[in-house]
Amino acid sequence: MSAQPVIATSGLTKDYGSGHGLFGLDLEVQQGEIFGFLGPNGAGKSTTMRLLLDLIRPTSGAARILGLDSVSDSLEIRRRVGFLPGDFALYPKLSGRVMLDYLAQLRGGVNPRVRDALIERFGADIDRPVRQLSTGNRQKLGLVQAFMHEPELLILDEPIAGLDPLVQQSFHALLAELSGQGRTVFLSSHTLSEVERVTRRLAILRQGRLVVVDSLENLRKVAVQRLEIEFAAPVDAEEFRGLPGVSEVRADGRTVTVGFEGSADAVVKAAAAHEVRAIRPREEDLEDIFLHYYRADGAG
Amino acid sequence: MSTPVARITLRLRLPAVVSAAVGLIAVMAALGALFPNVGHTIGRLSIPRSVSNLLGGGDYGTITGWFRSEIAAIYGPLVIGALAITGASASTAGEEEDRILGLVLAHPIPRPRLIAAKAAAIGAVVLIVAFATWIGLVVGVAFAGGGITLAHITALAIQLAFFGFATGALAIALGAGTGLRSLATGVTAAVAILGWLINSFAPLVSALDWLKYLSPFFYYAGHDPLTQGVDVAGVVVLGLVSAALTGLGMIGIQRRDLRA
Repeated sequence: MSAQPVIATSGLTKDYGSGHGLFGLDLEVQQGEIFGFLGPNGAGKSTTMRLLLDLIRPTSGAARILGLDSVSDSLEIRRRVGFLPGDFALYPKLSGRVMLDYLAQLRGGVNPRVRDALIERFGADIDRPVRQLSTGNRQKLGLVQAFMHEPELLILDEPIAGLDPLVQQSFHALLAELSGQGRTVFLSSHTLSEVERVTRRLAILRQGRLVVVDSLENLRKVAVQRLEIEFAAPVDAEEFRGLPGVSEVRADGRTVTVGFEGSADAVVKAAAAHEVRAIRPREEDLEDIFLHYYRADGAG
Repeated sequence: MSTPVARITLRLRLPAVVSAAVGLIAVMAALGALFPNVGHTIGRLSIPRSVSNLLGGGDYGTITGWFRSEIAAIYGPLVIGALAITGASASTAGEEEDRILGLVLAHPIPRPRLIAAKAAAIGAVVLIVAFATWIGLVVGVAFAGGGITLAHITALAIQLAFFGFATGALAIALGAGTGLRSLATGVTAAVAILGWLINSFAPLVSALDWLKYLSPFFYYAGHDPLTQGVDVAGVVVLGLVSAALTGLGMIGIQRRDLRA
């Protein structure tokens, strides 16, 4: 990793009034990272990305991209960054081929072999007018244009929207390759499971404020865990409520699912009072982590 | 200026421009063909001065008056103004509202250069329509039996082009400066229509005569190019106003947030 972060924001703020916008974002993303930027709709993810690319200007604070100031050096930044906007749109009457040629010309040309390889990899339809393409096929063009100039940093806003599972796999594989080459990816999502597959470190944003930045591994440690306990006969779920660390209990016939933080000791001992057929731990996914932080922040 | 931006902007406007150009040529050819049969009859009609001013103040009984009233006063500026205004609004604020400008400006292109390219494309649109007007007039005058020199026809086309530049530049300035398509289209159209009315009626009321200097129509149609040739001063004013408005658009978009 380089000493200098690829993305570094300090107190980055865009205040739209009435509590909308982004407030005091301090964030660092290192070279070669695939960094997940999460939050519900309206949390400020797209605002952050637009600030990084100088499409909008900060109310206060600053951002440095590839060591350059996001406002005064924006032209050089945009030369070295690939961007997929969340609401990706093209001229509807023109074909994907014409659009990709146009966007390549704006960069002074791209390597046609790289572009063609991306088109093939994603199975992008470049011959039909954009208005005839499905959301997923338009999104493929969006990915091609973001990657085709081999940028050092990719800023991708909801990149998987509309893509079928096979293309998602291809996209994830490409991200891993790029990361291996030392390129950096900063991608947002509100569909949390999408990010979980590719990211090692992530940030969660809520109502314009950073809730947490950590590795996925660390986030899992503090997340709610769940045990699915199958009994020989139905048991009263209330027995588990009020146990130390237990935050949720669901009963379905002979099966009780208990969510808890910290040690499983109290839960296991309470279950042992009955005949237990099976205990299955449920792997936590990012959704749980996200909801945990969302709730914790809201409670705080 | 960015050549790819200018080229694609022009490409997107071409279908409308070609339709309008073909329509203009056809209409002027038809008007020329009509003149020998109806010109002298209409020329004998007594038309109030206010109405005559609205129609360019031409004498319908002469070939120059006929084309001045039909083409120079109404049809020409209407078509070239409409294409310039809608094209300029759509390619600036329209593309911003359609979320295309945000993608384009994530590429290494300075905002002022983008606006300069848009302005150049709209300028090309205007030149195509002005050239179509020139062709139409040549054909129409020939059908009418002659009577207007090529130099005077060229003078009208030049003045029409500069009128188009000015209206397009106003829409560019408003579209780039605000990002609001309806505002850019509406305000520019209102300025053009008010300008037409002011230029027609202000001279009738001596106290309001000065208002005509605010009208783009005064500089476009203050004197008749079909009989007097190019109004150099008018063309220079329209050219300077166009350049200033385009500059304002380039500054305006540089200083603000993109809307979408």
